[in-house]
Amino acid sequence: MSSMSSPPNYHEREAPEHLDEMTCMLYLERQLERTRALEVSAHAQDCATCRTLLRAMERESRLLTRAMLEEEEPLPARIAAFQQRVHRSMQWIWMVVFGLAATAVYAMYTGYIEPWEQRLEQAGFGGTSLLSLLIFQGSFWKGWQSMISLVEILALVTLGGFAVLAARRHFRRGSALALVLTGLCAAFVSAPPAAATEFKSGPSIQISKDETIKGDVYATGQEISVDGTIDGDLYVWAQEATVRGHITGDVFLFVQTGRIEGQVDGNVRGACNNVTISGTVGRNLMTWTQVINVDSRGSVGRSVTSFSQTLGIDGKVGGDLFVFNQSTRIAGKIGGNIDEKSETLTIEDTAEVTGSIKFEGSREPNVSKKAKLASQVQFTQHVRHRNEFGKTSAFWAVVLVVAFALYGMMLFLIVPSFAQEATAAAENVGASMGLGLLVFFGVLIGAMIAVVTLVGMFVGLSTFFLWAIAVYAAQPIVGALLGQWILGRTTHTWPLIGRMLVGVFLIRVCTLLPHGWILKVVVTLWGLGAISLALYRRFQPVAPVQAPYVPPSAPLTPLTPAV
Amino acid sequence: MDVQKPGRMSAVETRESGAIVARARAGDAEAWGDLYREFAPAIFRFCRRALPTREDAEDATMEIFMKIRDKLDQYDATRPFSSWLYKVAANHCWDMLRRRKNRQDKETDDSEALPLEHPDPNQLDQLIEKRTSEEVRKALDKLGSRARMALVLRYYSDMSYDEIADSLGVRRAFVGVVLLRARHELRQALEGTGAMAAGGAR
Repeated sequence: MSSMSSPPNYHEREAPEHLDEMTCMLYLERQLERTRALEVSAHAQDCATCRTLLRAMERESRLLTRAMLEEEEPLPARIAAFQQRVHRSMQWIWMVVFGLAATAVYAMYTGYIEPWEQRLEQAGFGGTSLLSLLIFQGSFWKGWQSMISLVEILALVTLGGFAVLAARRHFRRGSALALVLTGLCAAFVSAPPAAATEFKSGPSIQISKDETIKGDVYATGQEISVDGTIDGDLYVWAQEATVRGHITGDVFLFVQTGRIEGQVDGNVRGACNNVTISGTVGRNLMTWTQVINVDSRGSVGRSVTSFSQTLGIDGKVGGDLFVFNQSTRIAGKIGGNIDEKSETLTIEDTAEVTGSIKFEGSREPNVSKKAKLASQVQFTQHVRHRNEFGKTSAFWAVVLVVAFALYGMMLFLIVPSFAQEATAAAENVGASMGLGLLVFFGVLIGAMIAVVTLVGMFVGLSTFFLWAIAVYAAQPIVGALLGQWILGRTTHTWPLIGRMLVGVFLIRVCTLLPHGWILKVVVTLWGLGAISLALYRRFQPVAPVQAPYVPPSAPLTPLTPAV
Repeated sequence: MDVQKPGRMSAVETRESGAIVARARAGDAEAWGDLYREFAPAIFRFCRRALPTREDAEDATMEIFMKIRDKLDQYDATRPFSSWLYKVAANHCWDMLRRRKNRQDKETDDSEALPLEHPDPNQLDQLIEKRTSEEVRKALDKLGSRARMALVLRYYSDMSYDEIADSLGVRRAFVGVVLLRARHELRQALEGTGAMAAGGAR
């Protein structure tokens, strides 16, 4: 590049025989062509003024470089620890999350989906969507016991994950972690899913009186009747199902009309149009039905939980009654308490209730004076807000905005630096949400386990309390981040609070839109993760600050021509 | 002795960095950690010089490394890693400054309009001799964002004129002008009054 041609008219030259400043700079920076550089060099030998200018500019360059390279302030702890705190920790967390997810998917597939794909193919329902498979035979229906054990296992694995995270400093390499995770996964998967199952399908299925089946039975058809014995669980999809025989396990009914006339040792659960219990249910009854009746010959050993339109009990219920109905009629014996929310409750002459009766409804209960009740019905009038719904919801929306704003302000004023750290952590969206998901369920489950186990009530409740604080702080934190995105970053408390208020307002407005709950969930997980991440960083030891990169000073060298 | 700049690495350092980068690209977390520890201080100082506040520099450093981690696959291993790193850092900081300038529209590059006047060599020599590194750093803070960025790219990162042109989005032939204007701005800031630039008695 030619120096003379490149900077046209850039300054007024008073002495054309002298080098101009641009030429001097380009010469010093070795940007001149060789011939021009030699000319400049030769000129500098003879011209003291130009030599002085070259020397001054070279010193200027060196001064600039020195000023920039000098490390006048230590590397901030936040930067020093950033890689350790975020990169590694997130890698571990992601590994745990993905490990858990992969394990859960595998267990779900082998335990539930695969057998049912076979089952549905046999029944001629090939190509059924995964969703319907999950809805109709997902782990939800498998029984509460198995749900509890699943939750326990998940909780243990989650807590194990946290323990591994906490102890990760002792594992220097990722391979050690991979080994631990593999072990966890293997242990989780190796628990074999329930075995022996028998599939039956056809328009009419009958298990005759002298027939005994060992293991679970899955039956689909128009009419199904069980007169024999099933030594396991019974799952039924049918128009009509009648159980006259003996079931030693649980019964799951997905039928239009279901009748239990025989004996079920376990639980009966169902989503049906109508169900009649004329026989014996050893444990609990839980139904989502239009009409459910426990007739005078029928009995349920433990509790009845009903989400129905109409419930009638003429027989015996050994335990409590939990009812969310439109109307309920009780003419039989209830061994426990009644807790009911419905439109109407009628207690007839023949009724006997051993425990207390709580009823929340729109009308006073109709209680016969002849009924044998241990205590009076505690009635709570259910106030309807339907007519004022518009006003009420707007009112509550405003109240919630104000509540979250005040809560956020309190948080940002009490712990300003932590709030800022959490807001900064929220910028890491994916990591925050992943961690949020883990913490949301993991801590909750951990707290629940602590409450019911040896760890103790105090620890569990304290954990739950902190968890709740963090869950509610999620919106202000995410709000602050959104506010910063809109109004620009700030490190001062009050401007940050202003941004938080803007963000919280936006979030609350968006949650009023249809499907706004999805946003609530996302924001909660996001904010919770950010808070957890910030907490995690807080409790990390800070990495030592690195020694200066380059020694600050360098002596001047004599001016040398470029080559 | 030449001052070693972060952008100018020895062959040994380049080879070592190359090996670490290769491992980091293969997903080795330890290698990534080494890379971070090796380059984070230099990148932080780069951001500190190029951006107006310490907080900006901290945020930018972390964001740059997040970017680096995501883009590591795009790095051409035949070129020095530090050059690529500074390129990413420069683009990030320059984008940040431009975005801020567009949004706040506070800064006006008045210096662009000023004619460059020839300095008096002796006065310049005296000025430079009297100033300390700290004074220069303070003066740098007073410069317009482009002038400062140009000086940082050249005198901190040791970028070539081509690389500077690319980063700042100016023509290659204009880089010298940008740098010289930046020096003039700096001298004015060092002087406080701009008397140096107006000296021009030859």
